[in-house]
Amino acid sequence: MTKLLKTILFISFLLLPQIAQSNISSNQFDESISIENPGAELWRNVRQRDGIFEGTSQSQSTDANFLINITGEAWRQYRMLDLIPKAGIALLVSLIGVLLFRVIRGNILLEAGRSGIKILRFSTSQRVIHWVTAILFIILSLTGLLLLFGRSFLIPMMGAEAFSYFAVGAKFLHDYLGPAFAVSLVLLFIFFIKGNMPSLKQDLAWLAKGGGMLGRHASADRYNAGEKGWFWIAAFVGGAIVVSGFVLDFPIFGQSRETMELFHVIHTIAATLIVIASIGHIYMGTIAMDGTFEVMKTGYCDSNWAKEHHDLWYEKQLAAGKVPAQKTPTKSS
Amino acid sequence: MSKLTRKTSQVVAAPGNLRANNICQPIDKSSSVANAVSRRSFLKRSGLMAGGAALASSVSPVMMKKAQASNSSLGDIKEVKTVCTHCSVGCGIIAEVQNGVWTGQEPAFDHPFNKGAHCAKGAAIREHGHGEKRLKYPTKLVDGKWKKVSWDEAISDIGDQLLDIREKNSPDSVYWLGSAKHSNEQAYLFRKMAAMWGTNNVDHQARICHSTTVAGVANTWGYGAMTNSYNDMHNSKAILMIGSNPAEAHPVALQHIFKAKEENNAPIIVIDPRFTRTAAHADHFLQIRPGTDVPVIWGMLWHIFQNGWEDKEFIRQRVYGVEEIRQEVAKWTPDEVERVTGVSESRVYGAAKAMADNRPSTFVWCMGGTQHTIGNNNTRAYCVFQLVLGNMGVPGGGTNIFRGHDNVQGATDLGVLSNTLPGYYGLKPGSWKHWAKVWDLDYEWVKSRFDKGSYEQSKGKDAHVMNTKGIPVSRWIDGVLEDKENIAQKDNVKAMIFWGHAPNSQTRGAEMKKAMEKLDLLVIVDPYPTASAIMHDRKNGVYLLPAATQMETYGSVTASNRSFQWRSKVIEPLFESLPDHTIMYKLSKKLGFSEELFKHIEVKGEEPYVEDVLREINSGMWTIGYTGQSPERLKMHQENWGTFDYTSLKAEGGPADGDFYGLPWPAWGTPEMKHPGTPNLYNPALSIAEGGLTFRARFGVERNGDNLLAEGSYSKGSEIKDGYPEFSHTMLKKLGWWDDLTADEKKQAEGKNWKTDLSGGIQRVAIKHGCAPFGNAKARAVVWTFPDPVPIHREPLYTSRRDLVEKYPTYEDRKSFWRLPTRYKSIQAKDYSGDYPIILTSGRLVEYEGGGDESRSNRWLAELQQDMFVEMHPRDANNAGVKDGDDVWLEGAEGSRVKVKALVTRRVSSGVAFMPFHFSGHMQGVDMTGNFPEGTAPYVAGEAANTAMTYGYDSVTQMQETKCSLCRITKV
Amino acid sequence: MARMKFYCDAERCIECNACVTACKNEHEIPWGVNRRRVVTIKDGEPGERSLSVACMHCSDAPCAAVCPVDCFYTTNDGVVLHDKDICIGCGYCFYACPFGAPQFPEAAAFSSRGKMDKCTFCAGGPEEDHSSDEYKKYGRNRLAEGKLPLCAEMCSTKALLAGDANILSDIYRKRIVNRGASVLNWGVSYDNSKLRS
Repeated sequence: MTKLLKTILFISFLLLPQIAQSNISSNQFDESISIENPGAELWRNVRQRDGIFEGTSQSQSTDANFLINITGEAWRQYRMLDLIPKAGIALLVSLIGVLLFRVIRGNILLEAGRSGIKILRFSTSQRVIHWVTAILFIILSLTGLLLLFGRSFLIPMMGAEAFSYFAVGAKFLHDYLGPAFAVSLVLLFIFFIKGNMPSLKQDLAWLAKGGGMLGRHASADRYNAGEKGWFWIAAFVGGAIVVSGFVLDFPIFGQSRETMELFHVIHTIAATLIVIASIGHIYMGTIAMDGTFEVMKTGYCDSNWAKEHHDLWYEKQLAAGKVPAQKTPTKSS
Repeated sequence: MSKLTRKTSQVVAAPGNLRANNICQPIDKSSSVANAVSRRSFLKRSGLMAGGAALASSVSPVMMKKAQASNSSLGDIKEVKTVCTHCSVGCGIIAEVQNGVWTGQEPAFDHPFNKGAHCAKGAAIREHGHGEKRLKYPTKLVDGKWKKVSWDEAISDIGDQLLDIREKNSPDSVYWLGSAKHSNEQAYLFRKMAAMWGTNNVDHQARICHSTTVAGVANTWGYGAMTNSYNDMHNSKAILMIGSNPAEAHPVALQHIFKAKEENNAPIIVIDPRFTRTAAHADHFLQIRPGTDVPVIWGMLWHIFQNGWEDKEFIRQRVYGVEEIRQEVAKWTPDEVERVTGVSESRVYGAAKAMADNRPSTFVWCMGGTQHTIGNNNTRAYCVFQLVLGNMGVPGGGTNIFRGHDNVQGATDLGVLSNTLPGYYGLKPGSWKHWAKVWDLDYEWVKSRFDKGSYEQSKGKDAHVMNTKGIPVSRWIDGVLEDKENIAQKDNVKAMIFWGHAPNSQTRGAEMKKAMEKLDLLVIVDPYPTASAIMHDRKNGVYLLPAATQMETYGSVTASNRSFQWRSKVIEPLFESLPDHTIMYKLSKKLGFSEELFKHIEVKGEEPYVEDVLREINSGMWTIGYTGQSPERLKMHQENWGTFDYTSLKAEGGPADGDFYGLPWPAWGTPEMKHPGTPNLYNPALSIAEGGLTFRARFGVERNGDNLLAEGSYSKGSEIKDGYPEFSHTMLKKLGWWDDLTADEKKQAEGKNWKTDLSGGIQRVAIKHGCAPFGNAKARAVVWTFPDPVPIHREPLYTSRRDLVEKYPTYEDRKSFWRLPTRYKSIQAKDYSGDYPIILTSGRLVEYEGGGDESRSNRWLAELQQDMFVEMHPRDANNAGVKDGDDVWLEGAEGSRVKVKALVTRRVSSGVAFMPFHFSGHMQGVDMTGNFPEGTAPYVAGEAANTAMTYGYDSVTQMQETKCSLCRITKV
Repeated sequence: MARMKFYCDAERCIECNACVTACKNEHEIPWGVNRRRVVTIKDGEPGERSLSVACMHCSDAPCAAVCPVDCFYTTNDGVVLHDKDICIGCGYCFYACPFGAPQFPEAAAFSSRGKMDKCTFCAGGPEEDHSSDEYKKYGRNRLAEGKLPLCAEMCSTKALLAGDANILSDIYRKRIVNRGASVLNWGVSYDNSKLRS
């Protein structure tokens, strides 16, 4: 409060002579003083004080008409002081979270053990799409992270010249595989939307039970709310990444710098979010729960796995006669 | 942790040596850390042709100057001094040449005109060394296809056809269109060549640039040239610019103008229909309606007379006819001025007062004033304004007429004009006799080269063809298209020789296309094919001869301020091109008069010796003092740029001690007389020998009982303390100074005057006695030999102000004027303003020059101006439903139309549209660039503004009207 | 050590574009890359002013701050340079630069921009002075020759100044003193012409 007061006092002190001056002026030189100082006006325009001010230039390059782009500095400040540190912290926190989860919960085993009866859960095409998307996702994540954090972590270790080789490769992969990821993401959406539509009652119930973590079993249909959540994160956040990535990857439509800066921020935030989410997904899908990884690997799940994790779906499959009566002979896996 | 090795430069970069305190002087080369300098050495010419590939989007451009590491030494680079070939400022250039390749360009900091500065064009001039889009070899059009031919075949073909036309039609059926881009020597040879061919149908760009200036100004006080200099504007206390936009047309001139503005607090006054880039830096801006120069000047004079601000003593001593001016000016009351020009009284008053209060004030004009049907009235009104204020003949005053092309002053002086021989001698028998004597040729032989008979009468007698003005370049198309019966010469023009001329700088483009198609022969001698090669649909009879640029030859050039500058050869001619004077030799040899043309000029191989040509010029050009500028003196000045003062242009010490830079003409007498040149014309404060001058006694000694000689005014040290007529042998004898001549001089001077005495003795003796050889008279504010003795306003032929036509009508039509019928009233009689409501004007862009074939072929420049456009006011745009950037049709009042981009801007006022004239390649919506020989189309093409420009010619000089016509603009 | 700066005097710049072509000439800059450009404010209206702009060689250069590969460095003369061998052409410097200085030879699909190119204050790059590599990548190294940037040296009206910051301020200060500080000397009193008298 005192600080504010002091500021006000200080400003009025500064203004005093100006006010006095203007009194004299309005008496004696009123006509002349009314001429706007074009120099002041010029610099006000140049500095974009009164909003975006576009000039003209004979040079044809992007944004050549702007003398000073004030958004660039805002972007820089945001990127260097907020985005990179916060994204780093968020990623670190989520990794620690998964680690803690692991420590607390350990391996989640099938309560009933394996029945040996295999139920078809994912078609071959679904699996192909999943894995293609997954591989692209991992490459894009790693290359993206390299570009985002490489300067902070890798350059101090290997120097800029060596890092440049990685960075060139990373940029190349990122820029060329990004569009492929966009295609695979669309296919993923189409092939997986069935069963991922939210079902309010079930999903809320599932969530209320913490997905079975909090005490009793939570029933779920083909996909539980957690999986659905991941699906829709992939769809929406992934979609944002794809759209923003497209704007950044194809600078051929005369996008302005402001646009690029905005989409760059969107891209980075969305990418951070999806990487965090993916950490959960990857953990849950691989080592967290017994019997889960093989589902996406082989396409088949154990009937007991189905009963425990997707009881409603299991019952539907049973009713549809899609659950074989006998153990499927498997190569030991 | 490996870190980059990051070197820093060795220089303790401290730009010292701030010579003029407002000039940023960079590190002095000599004082810099010389040891750290290791110059690059370059690979040979091999990289040259690949230059075009640099257009590809590679960041490492294909280099002409390929650098190698440290094994180079300073000796590898040759620095060549030359002069920019774009505008008349005459900026010095230092070219770095290595193994014959032009590898770099350094600022010429010691050059007195530009102090290293350049505009976009000068800073890009090294592109001459690339020449990607140049015409590379002699080419002829055969059945619609361009065919490479040898020089010999081309010259032989052309020569045969010319001789055939000469035989069948007339020598006057061949039109010799020269150039302001030639060096002085080439311009002179060109004029001489036309004379030897036997025609006065020879002309060049000056006709359409400052011919009204030359005529108007010379008829006012003697010489038709810029009276002071760019540098002299440092002394000005106020600067008025009318119809002049130096920020785009003469950017380096602004360096001098800003010096006056900042150091003298000189108000800058700009009068222009457009808010030009110059106006943006002005203190007073008067936005007139196009074509109302006389009213606005008379409007200012009205206030000056009203308040008694005129310089009464100056007028009494040195001006004739101010009373008649006063009567005309009285009609231009503030109300009438506002009614006609659109400028309010307060602004006119403010400008007049600024000029009157801050004397010496200078007056600048350019094409905005000259290119009108009343151009000669405009230029004389400007002169009268300066005379009334007593601003003439003082440093900081004067009429600073910025010429256009780099050597338009020289080419004009050297008479590449259809109405005069070199040195403004005219075409009278005496003039021819003078030059025949200089050329050491038989006058009768020269006469025999012309058509026999007579085209017109002079003083009731038949005038010989050689004494009859030829067709001016502005009208050559009429020389082709007009019925034979209506032309005052034996036959129509059948062959055009474009020797360095852009056709798109001329009006009536659509008719020009027809004229080109009607010709028997079209020859284009130019470094570039130019629009002349492509704007027509000819299938045969076109020859393109590749001329070398001025960077590929050497010689002298006259800047706007009358200073001569020596250009050295930077590189050898590229491709198969040849210097113009070599081509002239080849052609004249074929035509059979090379012996006469080069009688006293040594020809080495096929190249005439340039120094010999200049010596011949020196030996004949007595009228304007082109006599003292010997090649030796000019080369010495070139070597010593740095010794000349930035403001006075005078050398202090050094070999050129006392000389003014470039020996601005008149540099009286022979080179041995060592006249320093005349920096400011008509300045009596200096003696004639120091560069002082009086007004020329050119118009007689008395008129209607009034004395035309100066009264009580004379130059410093003059032994005649009053006015006197021009010097002749009789005058010397009367004064008793005859015996001051040497015996040899007496022999040559007997019966001669200061203009025709080839010994220079009369001039020498006059100057010895402190007298100006051309006399000491009054300037005349009234030119009684012109159609409008007192400059008056006349509405343009195509005017939107029908209400003013009755009061300010144009001239009557003329049956035969410069050999051609010329229309005025019959055009103005019809009201076009309904169908064509918008006034159309034109002008320049800084990136391009002239017709633009050269500058649009320069990729560094072309990148900056890629589209032809028309500037239109938002109101007009909205009325036409046009948005910024739209394609529009602009149709001129004669029906020709151009398809251009709309640039919606408040630069022009409502009801006025502006187009730059540098574009060509499109014709009424059709892209003609496919007609270019392969690889020669400029980077940028567009409609020529002058396609839509209309008829209209000055009443004295046939200057074309390009500044006010009418048009309509519709969305495509 | 000197601290190199550009300064453009708006009262003198006439948008003649000499700086632009001088730069292209000196370094053989390809079509489409503009290390320097002139921007006009209020084109065609009273108060029209132009400024020539290029890399301003900032003390705290945003381009250097955001570069993911850290390819920028500042010389002892205060010139901000970059290493094209390290540059990956990501375009971040272009986003961050207030002046639009970083240029890219292309703007193609898949973010293919090529290596960034910008004004070097005519000071070359990290390669050996006057080496062929340096010339190819960065253009001529005038600073090492004891010369200043050609754009400023060739400026038609000496509006664009280049050199040590202290000297530039001295020059500019002198100009301001010459021009006077009167309100009537603001340069566009053509709307109030009576006041000039």
